[in-house]
Amino acid sequence: MGETIEKLKWLLTDKYSNKRVEEEIRDKEDLLSSGISTCLGCGSEIGLRIALKVLGRNTILAIPPGCMGGVGVVGYGTTTGTEVPVFFPLLDNIASMLSGIKRYYRRLGRKVHVLAYAGDGGTADVGFQCLSGAAERDENIIYICYDNEGYMNTGIQRSGTTPYKAWTTTTPVGEARRGKPQVNKNMPLIMAMHEIPYTATASIAYIEDYVSKLKKAAEVEDGLAYIHLFSPCPTGWRFSTDKTIEVARLAVETNFFPLWEARYGEIRFTKKIWFKKPVKEYLKAVGKYSHLTDEEINEIQKLVDDRYRMLKSLAR
Amino acid sequence: MIKIVDGNQAAAYGAKLSRPEVIAAYPITPQTPLVEYIASMVARGELDAEMVEVESEHSALSVLHGASLSGARTFTATSSQGLSLMYEPYFRTSTLRLPVVMCIVTREMISPQSVWGGQQDAVTVRDAGWIQLFVENNQEVLDTVIQAYRLAEDRRVLLPVNVCLDGFYLSHMAEKVVIPDQNEVDDFLPPLVMDHIKLDPENPMSVDPLTPGPLLTHYRNKHVEGLENAKDVIEEVDREFEERFGRSYHGKIEPFMMDDAEIAVVTMGSMSGTVRVIVREARERGVRIGMLKLRMFRPFPKEEFRELLKDIDVIGVIDRNVSFGFSSGTVYYELKSALFGYHNPLMVSFIAGLGGSDISKMHVRKVVEILEKVHKTGKVEKEVVWMDLEEKLWEKQLKS
Repeated sequence: MGETIEKLKWLLTDKYSNKRVEEEIRDKEDLLSSGISTCLGCGSEIGLRIALKVLGRNTILAIPPGCMGGVGVVGYGTTTGTEVPVFFPLLDNIASMLSGIKRYYRRLGRKVHVLAYAGDGGTADVGFQCLSGAAERDENIIYICYDNEGYMNTGIQRSGTTPYKAWTTTTPVGEARRGKPQVNKNMPLIMAMHEIPYTATASIAYIEDYVSKLKKAAEVEDGLAYIHLFSPCPTGWRFSTDKTIEVARLAVETNFFPLWEARYGEIRFTKKIWFKKPVKEYLKAVGKYSHLTDEEINEIQKLVDDRYRMLKSLAR
Repeated sequence: MIKIVDGNQAAAYGAKLSRPEVIAAYPITPQTPLVEYIASMVARGELDAEMVEVESEHSALSVLHGASLSGARTFTATSSQGLSLMYEPYFRTSTLRLPVVMCIVTREMISPQSVWGGQQDAVTVRDAGWIQLFVENNQEVLDTVIQAYRLAEDRRVLLPVNVCLDGFYLSHMAEKVVIPDQNEVDDFLPPLVMDHIKLDPENPMSVDPLTPGPLLTHYRNKHVEGLENAKDVIEEVDREFEERFGRSYHGKIEPFMMDDAEIAVVTMGSMSGTVRVIVREARERGVRIGMLKLRMFRPFPKEEFRELLKDIDVIGVIDRNVSFGFSSGTVYYELKSALFGYHNPLMVSFIAGLGGSDISKMHVRKVVEILEKVHKTGKVEKEVVWMDLEEKLWEKQLKS
């Protein structure tokens, strides 16, 4: 009985907050050009558009080389893709460059949001060292990793966040190899373990959740705020361009990508999944897993369960 | 105020007097004490700067990119392996036209493993678009750091500057240095105003968008123009510095005992002190010899060399580096190419002082002896002379 009431409360507040956030976001100024050339069904574009709506004009934006750079967010020639100050950091110095900006503005006594919108390669692979350093030094920057699970801008190569068994052009499927042989880095948990003021996972299928996390990230003043945004890529993951949100939602509903946040020494799930679906449903919806046998799917189910259990053991 | 300080401390004083607003650095031998001096100045409250103790040299320069793009005056320092790790943001510092000042406490590049002196590090990155100034003593270290900011921030230049001081020979050697008054330095060096490129929400700018070839070519050309302008600006800065502080370093190249000279020795860095002594000694013997101390290695002062060397018969260049591929010292072949089509002197490349080897009076006497012989016979027997090699010192070291 108690659990039923609890469920009802969740559903009602969800519905209410969804509507409220929808209205709030709809009326906010769109600071990203409508003319950027993302692929059809791009998840990362949604993530950036929303982030800029929430953070507003008082933001300095870093777009490292990657999909968002390639589609023209920093601009081309003498044109620009956004209305906020924007620049290309190097792929491997994102957090360091932002540290320098924030330190100087802090010295001037000016409050400015300093935001990175970076892919998984620049975050979990080549740029990881400087991100880890910035986290340790409590640099007051907002860092969003749009995780499309690989180097999509250069044409779908594996990265440290490409999941186990997934197909990419550098982890092809053949007689001898069947996709990526290694399990992906648990990047958001790694960041939470830096004990920074705020860490969260987010999904473009749960905008209300993402928006509330962006707001919390923007309020942080004593260190780094990190959001790991799950961002399905129809081009690189091989699914129909109208299924981006559906795929993102399935990842959450199967616990493949749970939504949580960590702050003040606590990890908390922000999206309760009352009816967990088998991971098979998610894997079947994404073409990069189309080669998987039932046995391999079971193996992935176990990995997902294990990772979720570890998170749960830490969470409230 | 007069103090006895080592080169690292002199650089730290130079930086402090220049009032950098953001400093980021990572320790590496032989630059480490420089970072410690700066950190203690910040800790004591003598230097009001944001100090970022980064996790790598790559990040050190990257933090300065962000700070400089926001309008800050910045400072850092590094050596050898740190410089090579930094290469990616290093190149970009100049192509973004950021007036960063960075000391390179020069050190040999590995391998073989070495932590000792040499100029291979700074010389290897010579074509990355920075201005590079090499200095002879600790007073020049301090004064050149201050001059470097004036040069870097000049609107005709707007380029980053390296002040290169020899690792250990300067960095760890203490000597008398005059520390100028802060007020005087403030008068000489006004605060930085960055408006050519800036990240500021009040005036949004897209910095470094994807740039098509012809526009990029235009920027490259402007970059080279800035470097060329630096050749005049350094002379102005040095003159004004002399008027205010009473010390001059002759801008790009310092001629020493060059009047009526037939033979010239070209030097760079701390070796110049030893060469001065031996040139004077040779003059006493009646040899018409002089020295040119190259201070501004980048941009390379071609025109001034052509003028200074127009009546010279024999030139020896001592390089504390190796040009792999050209198989001589680097300054040697650059000077040779600068003189081509103008003069045709006999030239010898001397490679010396690698991996912390000394360039002693004995070595320079040998240089002079060889150059005298070339002058007498009118023939270059050996174009590239590797010092210490004929004595087979390395064989003794292998045996021990």
